[in-house]
Parts: sequence; C-alpha cells; structure tokens
Amino acid sequence: MIEIRNLHKNFGDLHVLKGIDLSITQGEVTVIMGPSGSGKSTLLRCINRLEECTSGTVIVDGYDVMAKDTDINFIRTEAGMVFQQFNLFPHMTALGNVTLGPVKVRKMKKADAEELGIELLSKVGLKDKARVYPDRLSGGQKQRVAIARSLALKPKVLLFDEPTSALDPELVGEVLEVMKQLGREGMTMVVVTHEMGFAREVADRVIFMDEGVIIEEGEPENIFTSPRHERTKSFLSKVI
Amino acid sequence: MNSGFEFKVSVMWESVPVLLTGLKLTIIITIFGLLLGFLLGIVFGMLKISRNVLVRKFAGIYIESIRGTPLMVQVMFIYFGLPLALGMRVPPMVAGVTAIGINSGAYIAELVRGAFQSIERGQVEAGRSIGLTHIQTLYYVIWPQAFRRMIPPLGNQFIISLKDTSLLVVVGVGELTRTGQEIIAANFRAFEVWLTVAIMYFVMTMSIARVLTYIERKMEI
Repeated sequence: MIEIRNLHKNFGDLHVLKGIDLSITQGEVTVIMGPSGSGKSTLLRCINRLEECTSGTVIVDGYDVMAKDTDINFIRTEAGMVFQQFNLFPHMTALGNVTLGPVKVRKMKKADAEELGIELLSKVGLKDKARVYPDRLSGGQKQRVAIARSLALKPKVLLFDEPTSALDPELVGEVLEVMKQLGREGMTMVVVTHEMGFAREVADRVIFMDEGVIIEEGEPENIFTSPRHERTKSFLSKVI
Repeated sequence: MNSGFEFKVSVMWESVPVLLTGLKLTIIITIFGLLLGFLLGIVFGMLKISRNVLVRKFAGIYIESIRGTPLMVQVMFIYFGLPLALGMRVPPMVAGVTAIGINSGAYIAELVRGAFQSIERGQVEAGRSIGLTHIQTLYYVIWPQAFRRMIPPLGNQFIISLKDTSLLVVVGVGELTRTGQEIIAANFRAFEVWLTVAIMYFVMTMSIARVLTYIERKMEI
C-alpha cells in the first residue's frame, strides 16, 4: 500500500529525515512513536506530499507521489489525513465539512453526499451534531468530525498526525475508540501518537524513530516490554 | 461687537433640494469608485500573496505609490495630467470614479492580504488533504473565512472613500461639496450651507456604519 525508499528531508540546513525505508501493507495499523523533533510528523506529511521530500521515493497505492505526472489531489483522496489541531472548516457545519470533499472532488450529487455524510457522522457517533458549527463542538467531537471528513473520500489509507495530543485527557478516549473501530474494520492506518494503550490494542507494528531514522520496529508487545535499543528504552521509561 | 450674524434655519431648508442633486452624484461616485476599488483590491491583494517575487513586487509598487501620495494629487494627475499624455480629455466623472477606485483599491488590497494571511495554515492543509486543488481551497475554504474578517475594515474604507469624494471639487465634479460651494457663491450663507452639507455626509456615513454592524452581527455564527 505504501512504499518508502531512502527518504530524506531537509529544512534548510536541518536534516530532518535521514534515509527512511518503510513499507506498509494493506489493512495494517502502524504506530509511529519517538521524541519530538524525531521527524515522525514530517515522515507522515511526506506520504501525502503536504511536505515535499528532498530525495527518495514514496509510492502510495502504486503511484509515485513525487512524480511530475502524478495527480497529487488524487493521491490525497487515497491517503486521507487527520490533524492534531483538527483543522475543521469553521464556516461550515459538521455535515458541510464532511460533504465538501465528496461534492467538489468526487463530483457527487449534494443529496447523495449528505446521505453519505450522515452515515459517516453516525459512525463516529455524531449524527445529532450534523447541523452544528465547529465552534459548538468539543475537541473530541471536532476530531471525530475530522475523521468522518477524511473517510468521506473513501481513502485506502488514513494518516493520523498526533490526533489526540490537543485534547483534554477525558476526551481522548472517544477519539481512540473511533480509531480502534476503524482498525478492526481493516482500514490501513499510519498513526503518529504516544498512546501506548491504543498501540497495544490495535497496532500491528510499532515504529520507533529518533533523529530522523527508524531505530527499532516490531510488534507492540515486544517493543514495549523488551526494547532492544537504548534510546527506545529511555523514551518509553519517560512516556509510561 | 455685533458681527451682524443671524442663523437662519430657513436657509438650510432651502438649500436641501439643490444639495440633494449633489448628494446623488456623491453616492454614484462612491458606489462605482468602490466597485472598482474592490475589484483592484482583490486582484492586487491576491497578487501580494503570490509565491512569485516579481508578482509581489509589482503589486507592492501599486499599493505603496498610491498610499504614499495624497489623493488630491492623484485626482489632479488623472484629470489634468493624464489627458496631456493621452491626447484626450477625461470627463470629470470618469476621472473622479477612477481616482476613488484606484485609491481605495490600494487600501483594500492590504485588507485582502491581511485577511488571507490571518487564516491558519492548517486550513489550507485540511483543504488540500481532502483532494481540493489550490484554487478550490482558496475559493471554498479560505475566501469565505477571509471575507468575514474583512468586513469591519472594509466598512471603514467605505466611509473613508465616501468622505474622500469631497476632494473631487478640484476637478469640478458637481458632487455634494461642490454643490455647497455653488450655493454659497450665490447666497453667501456659508454657516448654514456647510452645516447642512456636513449633516448630509454624517447621515450617509452613519448609515453605512449601521448597516455594517448589522451585517457583522448577521454573519456571526
């Protein structure tokens, strides 16, 4: 589903990603962990080209993301993204947020898109908030709408960039619950998060990054209980 | 000391019908001037946030040269100066509307730029991440939010431009201020006539302010 080969990213003099190799198969849930500044978010953003990588290749569903003749807008409907700050469109209702993509990108009829929108909002438990504007929603509700907005394009993979980091602790659970359900339904997901519980329960694989490289990867239980690398150990001891 | 001055309300009432013809012109010039200004403002405001440096510079030259020179000079340049270079006369009304348009356009361009830049970067990213093109993101996501933020400063500019039309007396457009001058030339009642003119401007600017407050409240979600 996703193939990353020797990916490098520089921000000026700053070498953020130093040769990442990673392949993600369909239906797999991958959790990326690591200290801040380790390049996890940048890696995620290179997958749908919100960030242009400096060198290397990224293949999503058979399409070379960096190739000139690739329609990047199409790639982005294949690889949806959920942001830390939700980034809902404040001038649209929850339903409006969810239907914008289907109507303008997928050229769906408005009525069909709204039917789909209501269905997806029900899925994330927010059917009764369809006509509500984002400023009347809690953080957890906003993030669930944002997930529905991504799902509306029927993506093949969902990228989550620290989806619960901006939430009050008591609201984290409702968002993770939706993500767990997606994982169980077989959605391919790449999740940058520090939620160990989530990783334990649904991740097929945990990737630990530091200073722009992948240091260690494996099944969550193995990584959490017997990390091989010193830096993984010290990070995990701080997080737990 | 008796100055011999006697305030006559009747003079004010008598001047109203003639002043209203001038007021009509003031409104027409303001509307068309602002339409032109709005158009220029959007175009140059967008150019000012272009990724191309040359395009940004080009927009900057227009904005800075207009903001850096007095409107009075701009009006006289367009009415007296340009015809010499073009070899044709410019009707006073056209010169007036053009001057108000070009002038307000520069200020509106800055409002547009500021409003667009005030929208969080995440909004563009969210738009692009659901597959919208750059143009679609600007149109469906950024523009509606930016426009909402532009309304208060835009209203301010409307009021300024309305009052600025009074400078068009120098090219002889028969707008409100000019009409007032003409009445005074005949009856020498400067106090009453200028007071009436001032009240008329005040009523217009207050009306704009009221309408804007109403729109702002309406657009609040």
